[in-house]
Amino acid sequence: MSLVEREGMENRKLIYANDKCVGCGICADTCPTKSLILSPIVPIARGLIEMDYISCNKNNCVLCGLCASSCPFGVLGLEINGELISKSKQYPNWNNEAKINEELCFYCGKCVEACPRDSIFFTRKLPDINDLLSGEISIDDEKCVYCRVCEEMCPSCAINISSNNEFGVPDTIEVDDSKCVYCQVCKRACPQDAITAICTTCMFKENIDKPNIEGTIFIEGKCINCGWCKSVCPADAIDIIKPFIGEILRNPELVCKGETCHACKDVCPANAVEIIEGESKINPECCVLCGACVKACPQDLLSVKRESMALDNINSISWKDILGKLLE
Amino acid sequence: MAIQIDALKCGHVENCMGGGLCIKICEQGALVEENGDVKIIPEKCDDCGLCITSCPNQAISKI
Repeated sequence: MSLVEREGMENRKLIYANDKCVGCGICADTCPTKSLILSPIVPIARGLIEMDYISCNKNNCVLCGLCASSCPFGVLGLEINGELISKSKQYPNWNNEAKINEELCFYCGKCVEACPRDSIFFTRKLPDINDLLSGEISIDDEKCVYCRVCEEMCPSCAINISSNNEFGVPDTIEVDDSKCVYCQVCKRACPQDAITAICTTCMFKENIDKPNIEGTIFIEGKCINCGWCKSVCPADAIDIIKPFIGEILRNPELVCKGETCHACKDVCPANAVEIIEGESKINPECCVLCGACVKACPQDLLSVKRESMALDNINSISWKDILGKLLE
Repeated sequence: MAIQIDALKCGHVENCMGGGLCIKICEQGALVEENGDVKIIPEKCDDCGLCITSCPNQAISKI
């Protein structure tokens, strides 16, 4: 979505993607002309009102691009003659990222479930069950009386007894090879000893290759490099560079209203806040130090202390001053 | 009770830009609509201040 566009010596356009926005307000704090306004983030996060997280006063905006360079999540972008400044060598550049090493990943899907931004996607191809398990079940039609004992007891529902005559009396028994696991329960249960079963897998199990599970996995869209995926990955296949290093501080003199309020928890884009025993607790492992909780807290309990950021290539002295304020 | 509502700033719930946002945001049920105005039930208020920060008319304040 284009917020502001002007044609002059150059064509400049400020673009904004509300679906990626976390409502942290870093851009609004950075804007030198106070043109960006942060909306009430708690009611938006709770779904009580529907509006974009930020709005822009078009008449005040000078299209300088500081907001775009300050946003660690690529939500705002300034295009100059169709080129994004984040791709330009002259403008600052964020290095925060999340990467999955596909050589280590075995497509378990834990990261997909853990991602608070629903930004990890994967598909996997499982081996054919018949390549891993095989055997033979044979039923002696002379002995079988179609009593359904085996059908009822089969743990994988692989036996089906049906009727092929006009009276509806059962006279056919079938075993579905794709379901049977050759456990031999049917054989042991059969009162007529009509079933013979061999699990050939047992004889050749050493010869069966470990299946190769193939898949694809990628991170896309609303990722904010919070590190939830890394913290749950059993294969240690994920590398995260967070946008900021630092901590969220809590003023010990003020009282947290816990479950009554939980505004911090609602606005946190990284799912890093929990209310434990009436107190808001922030998980530093997943916090991205965006500061949305600081803005949301009606008690002014929290403050963000950032020590470093993954933003470099700030060439101008005035931009260094302004963007450096993110660390104060 | 620790909050007060300025009826003049508030207007009526039907005129509220947030559609009675203070009532919706209060999970304690301490704010209710009565005859088109917002009324506070002091016993239920836990003093969290969410209504104060959410009110689009800045009509709610701590006492």
